[in-house]
Amino acid sequence: MTNSNAKTSRYGQTLLAGLWRENPVFRLLLGMCPTLAVTAAVKPALTMGCCVIFVLLCSNIIVSLMRNLLKPHLRILMFTLTIATFVTIADLFLKAFVPRMSEMLGPYVPLIIVNCIIICRAEACASKNPMLVSVIDALSMGVGFTVTLCFLAGIRELLSTGKIFEAQLMPDAFVPWAAMSMPVGAFITLGLMLGLVNIVAGKKA
Amino acid sequence: MDTLSILLMGFISIVVVNNLVFTKFLGICPYLGVSGRIDMAFGMGLAVTFVVTLSGTLTWLIDHLLLIGTSLEVTRYICFILVIAGAVQLVEMYLRKFFPSLYESFGIFLPLITTNCAILGLCLLISLEGINSLLEAVVLSFGAGIGFTMAICIMAGIRENLDLADVPDCLKGAPITLITAGLLAMAFMGFAGMIR
Amino acid sequence: MNKIKNFIQQSWLLIVASFCFGLLIAVTNAALSPRIRQNEINKRNRLVSALLPEAKDFILLDEQIEIQSLQGKKNIEIYRAVSEADECVGWSFEAAGSGFADKIRLVVALDKNFEKIAGFDVLSSNETPGFGDQIKYDYYRDQFKGAPAGELKLVTIGERDKIDSEIVVISGATISSEAVVEILNNSITQVKEQMRKKGIIGNDKQ
Repeated sequence: MTNSNAKTSRYGQTLLAGLWRENPVFRLLLGMCPTLAVTAAVKPALTMGCCVIFVLLCSNIIVSLMRNLLKPHLRILMFTLTIATFVTIADLFLKAFVPRMSEMLGPYVPLIIVNCIIICRAEACASKNPMLVSVIDALSMGVGFTVTLCFLAGIRELLSTGKIFEAQLMPDAFVPWAAMSMPVGAFITLGLMLGLVNIVAGKKA
Repeated sequence: MDTLSILLMGFISIVVVNNLVFTKFLGICPYLGVSGRIDMAFGMGLAVTFVVTLSGTLTWLIDHLLLIGTSLEVTRYICFILVIAGAVQLVEMYLRKFFPSLYESFGIFLPLITTNCAILGLCLLISLEGINSLLEAVVLSFGAGIGFTMAICIMAGIRENLDLADVPDCLKGAPITLITAGLLAMAFMGFAGMIR
Repeated sequence: MNKIKNFIQQSWLLIVASFCFGLLIAVTNAALSPRIRQNEINKRNRLVSALLPEAKDFILLDEQIEIQSLQGKKNIEIYRAVSEADECVGWSFEAAGSGFADKIRLVVALDKNFEKIAGFDVLSSNETPGFGDQIKYDYYRDQFKGAPAGELKLVTIGERDKIDSEIVVISGATISSEAVVEILNNSITQVKEQMRKKGIIGNDKQ
């Protein structure tokens, strides 16, 4: 009984870790490139997040299944191959079902291959743990990443156009800050967000 | 003359106007990681320049000679990443054999280059833009490397001075680096419109 | 012999996995590629149909047309727009050139004799939001609808509503407006000349 309780709590912890304690963007500083590039609006950020969840889930499952067969020196090659395969599949799905988004995201979809989050989770979690833990870890990390992305995108979209999802949220007198949708806005918003997270985390500790 | 001017424009455009770090957000991870000291940053920049030139050229060749001919474009991403991993491995072995001292100084950077998004990003950009001459692809990839080196060195110089500045506690480290990068990106926006 | 055995021992997983992954991609691609191709065609058709409302179908021209621009020589694909009665109602093609920040890609539509521009639309651009971005706005694009397909001229002061070869600049975005005019001038004159040489379209006088 205690054993199973301990197990559940461990799963629960893994699940929550990705959202805050080990949030891939804010705490681990992983996967910065898509974080900055696709957060000009919420829609592409959400699409990107879903792609990352899909790839992370699939690659974690495969890596965790193969973990006992992996040769140490071929490990990274194997991870890369797995990730590249699922990214290609995700890209094909995007092109087929949401062509608009696929065009908007452009090269950032294939760039998921070199997103450090995925290879880091494959190395740190999936290659050591059984499948269930790996799946939970993938979900938690993926959701944490997506939520962060959408949050940043929300701020930037609101300030740069005054709208989110086509819904006007700002009063008419608001002058859109065009700079927020440009690279400048991305860097500065993320920098300030990280500062904010540091303050909050510092208070908790 | 005509080709020369096209090449020159492409080069300047990728180095300053469309700098990979400041306008396309590529290669941010190492940019945040190793831009602490200027000599390390320069080493990383050189290593990246070398690998990006090599893999940009190789992927262009593979794309045009192999994949498009056999309409296997769907496997493009896998081929590209394998080429990059291979190129990095090759550079590592070559350096270890012939320039051991240089190899020592690059240290951990070399294997890390594989997961540098600037490299895969550039290969994808070349294939997306439909560059159809080998020379242009070579010049573009070399320019991308130079642009990356420049960005990372500027940043390292600023960060060395930033250590002496009074930065609020919560912004120390990555946050202030990102904000500085934002200001730099704004400065680089001034180059837009230079290339006609 | 031992070497081979060693090699297989080390890499069998890699080989098997590559094979499986290859199969997986092949299956997905086979299942989705018709849809992807359809999406691409739909996208272009949607843009051009807005410019050439009478067109029902677009047929790719077999002839090779090559244009010379600052970016070098490039082959472009010309589409013949045909109406329901199978008559040619216009032409469309893609043209690109450098804008303020990045490349601007346009789709251009012309009437059947290459005399008037039916309009253009922006496929992709990276112009400054709020300034150069306005090349996508109707007030700028409408100036081109019906303008003569020859040399267009950019002016700073003029009437936007009057349709002629004078295009009024977007204030604050001279370079972007200039870039669009230049791309159109360059591509249209060259395409027109080559199409005429090949006898696909007649001379102006006809």
